[in-house]
Amino acid sequence: MALIMKKDLRGLGRERTIMLAILLQLFVALFSSFLMVGLTSMYDPSSLARFSGVKYQVAYVGGPSDLEGLLAKSGQFRVYPMDLPTAVTALGERKLSAVIHVPPTLKDAKDPVKITLYSIQNDIQSTIVNVKLKEVFLDYEEELRRVRSERLDLLPVSLEFPASRPGPGFYEFIYGLLIPLLLFMPAIISAALIIDLITEEFQHHTIETLLSTPMTMAEVVWGKIAACIVLVPLQTGTWLLLLTLNRIPIANIPQILAQVLSFSLVLVLIGALTALYYRERTAAQFIFSTAVVVLMLAVLAFPNNPLNLIALLSTGSAGIPHWSVLGGTLLLCGGLGVLTHLYSGRVSTRVPGE
Amino acid sequence: MNVLQFLSRIGTLARWEVKRAFGVMGKGMLPMAFVLFVLLVAATGFAAERGLHLQDGIYSLGADDAVVGDIFSGDERFSISIGDERALFRERAAYDIIIIGGQVYVQDTERGRSALKTLERDYQQYLDSVYSLQQDLFAAYPLWIDLQEVKSELDFSATQSGMQISIAPSSTAPPVPEGPVGEVPVPEPGVAFSTEELRQGLIASSEPQSQLARYSDLVGPESPFGSFKTPSQLSPPLPFDSILLVFLFIFPLYFMSQFSMMSIMQERLERRGEVLLSTPAGAPAIIFGKALPYFVGMLAISAGIALWLSAPLVILLPLLPVILFFLANALIIGMVARSFKELSFISIFFSTVATSYLFFPSIFANVHVISLVSPLTLIVLSLQGEPYTISQYFFSTSLFFLTSAVLFYVGIANFREERLFSQAGIFYRVREFISTSLSSRHPWASLFGVNALLVPFVFMVQMLLLVLFFNLPMPLSLVLLIVSAAFVEEIAKSVGICTFLLDTPSRWSWAMVIVGSAVTAAAFLFAEKLLLLVTMAQVTESVFGSILFLSTGALVFPFLLHFTGVLCVAGLVRHKGSAGYIPGILIATLVHSLYNAYFILGWLS
Repeated sequence: MALIMKKDLRGLGRERTIMLAILLQLFVALFSSFLMVGLTSMYDPSSLARFSGVKYQVAYVGGPSDLEGLLAKSGQFRVYPMDLPTAVTALGERKLSAVIHVPPTLKDAKDPVKITLYSIQNDIQSTIVNVKLKEVFLDYEEELRRVRSERLDLLPVSLEFPASRPGPGFYEFIYGLLIPLLLFMPAIISAALIIDLITEEFQHHTIETLLSTPMTMAEVVWGKIAACIVLVPLQTGTWLLLLTLNRIPIANIPQILAQVLSFSLVLVLIGALTALYYRERTAAQFIFSTAVVVLMLAVLAFPNNPLNLIALLSTGSAGIPHWSVLGGTLLLCGGLGVLTHLYSGRVSTRVPGE
Repeated sequence: MNVLQFLSRIGTLARWEVKRAFGVMGKGMLPMAFVLFVLLVAATGFAAERGLHLQDGIYSLGADDAVVGDIFSGDERFSISIGDERALFRERAAYDIIIIGGQVYVQDTERGRSALKTLERDYQQYLDSVYSLQQDLFAAYPLWIDLQEVKSELDFSATQSGMQISIAPSSTAPPVPEGPVGEVPVPEPGVAFSTEELRQGLIASSEPQSQLARYSDLVGPESPFGSFKTPSQLSPPLPFDSILLVFLFIFPLYFMSQFSMMSIMQERLERRGEVLLSTPAGAPAIIFGKALPYFVGMLAISAGIALWLSAPLVILLPLLPVILFFLANALIIGMVARSFKELSFISIFFSTVATSYLFFPSIFANVHVISLVSPLTLIVLSLQGEPYTISQYFFSTSLFFLTSAVLFYVGIANFREERLFSQAGIFYRVREFISTSLSSRHPWASLFGVNALLVPFVFMVQMLLLVLFFNLPMPLSLVLLIVSAAFVEEIAKSVGICTFLLDTPSRWSWAMVIVGSAVTAAAFLFAEKLLLLVTMAQVTESVFGSILFLSTGALVFPFLLHFTGVLCVAGLVRHKGSAGYIPGILIATLVHSLYNAYFILGWLS
């Protein structure tokens, strides 16, 4: 068994394909982080240094209102009172960033105040200007609501929030999505690997040679499973190290490793069973990957699933039932292990259909 | 061999391929696949109903009032405990947030701040749900905004890249338009919808947001009334549903390309393909014959999905180049991989990169023209009911068509015994593939050809970089783009000449190295300009475009730049062998970046 494990690991090392796998994960992490930073800075202009301190030129059309004062007070806009046709034409020539038309509707009128906002189509700068204007409009909406508050018949529970505005947090993204998914990747990779390792022996007809030695089929299969499982803590450890180096502190690392190992083992065992049943790569990979998607969806539909636990463990939340979930997963592993052991004793050495 | 004969051979081979594929899958796989498909539908429905529980209980919240707790009980991210205020205050360290007497207190940690943000968003949702039930709707929603978009007559690509035109802080007088002032109708003060319509729309849009919206408040709720919005609906909407649908199209394509990849690999197992090669069919017929069933299958599945969604069949047009690209890559991967493991890893790697390229730009479909680098954006637009122009179609698909064609050519040229059954390492094999495509009798012509054909790939990688970096704040994105674009270009240019130098070092004198560099530079410049002329007008006009593709004007400087770059690498490789390659690339990248930085940044200031 140890022999088989060494042989397969050496094969992997020789092909250097595992490097590709690590590279792949790095790429995914890089891309998704870039995307997050990008999305935030695009829509939250305050995080874009280049755009702060700049005053956008805005035309104001209509009679005096509190909105005019709010626009001036925000310090982000230079407001020009103009007439509508001139302003819209100037906007078309990009001499303005937006045009705001305010109707003469009274603050406490029965009807709503309908403002018409003209902005430039499909343009990144007008997206930013609109987000800035949104803040001013929200203030104005608050003001109008206050004036009309006596007309409300259902009053919401009121809460006072602390004054400090929360910064652009990636906390939930990092701990709640990136880390669980990154730590799930090694499991998927190892499971795909076990299918390749097993079907390859059948399709290259090398299994007969292997079995002509004193080794049994079960030993061969367990050797391959061991080779795949050894890779899991290696990859997971690399990830955790990289994240820590990026100043993302991760709590409970041993418990996380235990969770990752246990569900990797489940997936690898399912992969091994599929591979032994089909003994042909196309079929085995297809059936396995569909089955994994089904399994994932079903498991994620329940709280306290392993990925949820990883998110909780890595943030250092207290009182998580992770030991009992681990126990359950290990029980499942045991069952699947016995099944694999028994089945590998009975499987034929031929590829079906040959 | 005439065309009809060629076609009939393709037909025969395609029939064989179908028979073989079903032979492999028939035994036990199809019933199992059917069962799994049913389970998949069931699991998707189940998960959609229950939600995905990935972040449950990530924050802890303590409140002194059960009514307050109830507001947030719908959000599984909070684990909520209700207690009296003294106990809460005493154990405040155990909570991220405590709410006592309507006042919110928060831990000053990263998790606390993140929890506060979530809490504020949930509270806003709660307010909306209360407000939309008010008798007097316009007391709760007193402000409505009608967003009118004005088409700018000026070229819009300048501001696309983040440059500002309209900032002129010195003037205090309102700007005066240069052109004639057009007629603009004064907007009606009234609201075009009935109160009940508005209420229904508000209730619908205050439903809890999709889980994707958790990660940022940038994706505001989409207004159900078109241009008519409340202030909080003013952020540009994320085309979330369309993006999900796009994924539905792409997913089957992955599986089909896996099958086709495996079918190529199958021929190489135990030299089984020798039989095929010994028939008079020839490599092109074999490759097209083997690809045809998968091509038809992919098209059929896509058409089926389109019909099922009752989407117009026009959306198959942007999928066509994607399908070809997948098949071309499947061919090359199937031919290069040495073992099943390698096949898995390379194909997973390829599909991740391809997904990023195809998928992420389409998120920006409503915001930015850069999103058009992915053909999927066209599908998103079609699904949203917006038409696209022919030039947009060319812009987003031409690179896919071109690279697929090149890959198929490389596959055909290498589809012979000594390549298929060799067991050499992957990098060596890739070099072999390239050197087969080079002819030693016509070194200049083939050098020119290889470099010209590499340009679409370079563009593709640079587009990926563009998508990656344009998100970052301005100076940083420019610098990163300058350096990485130069790096990619230098590597591509070095491929042809360095393959020659390493294969037959003795034949290459210093004079030939110089001529070779010149040929490479000329080929690169030629193909670059040609491709730009045909397709790239949209991006080249922006700042980012000018980094990637230099100016479309002068030719002498770009030629000298390309020449110097290749010469750096080729010279070092000639001098030191393969050890000189990496230093050569680094030096060339440095030179290239400095040149670009000088021209572009100089031009900017």
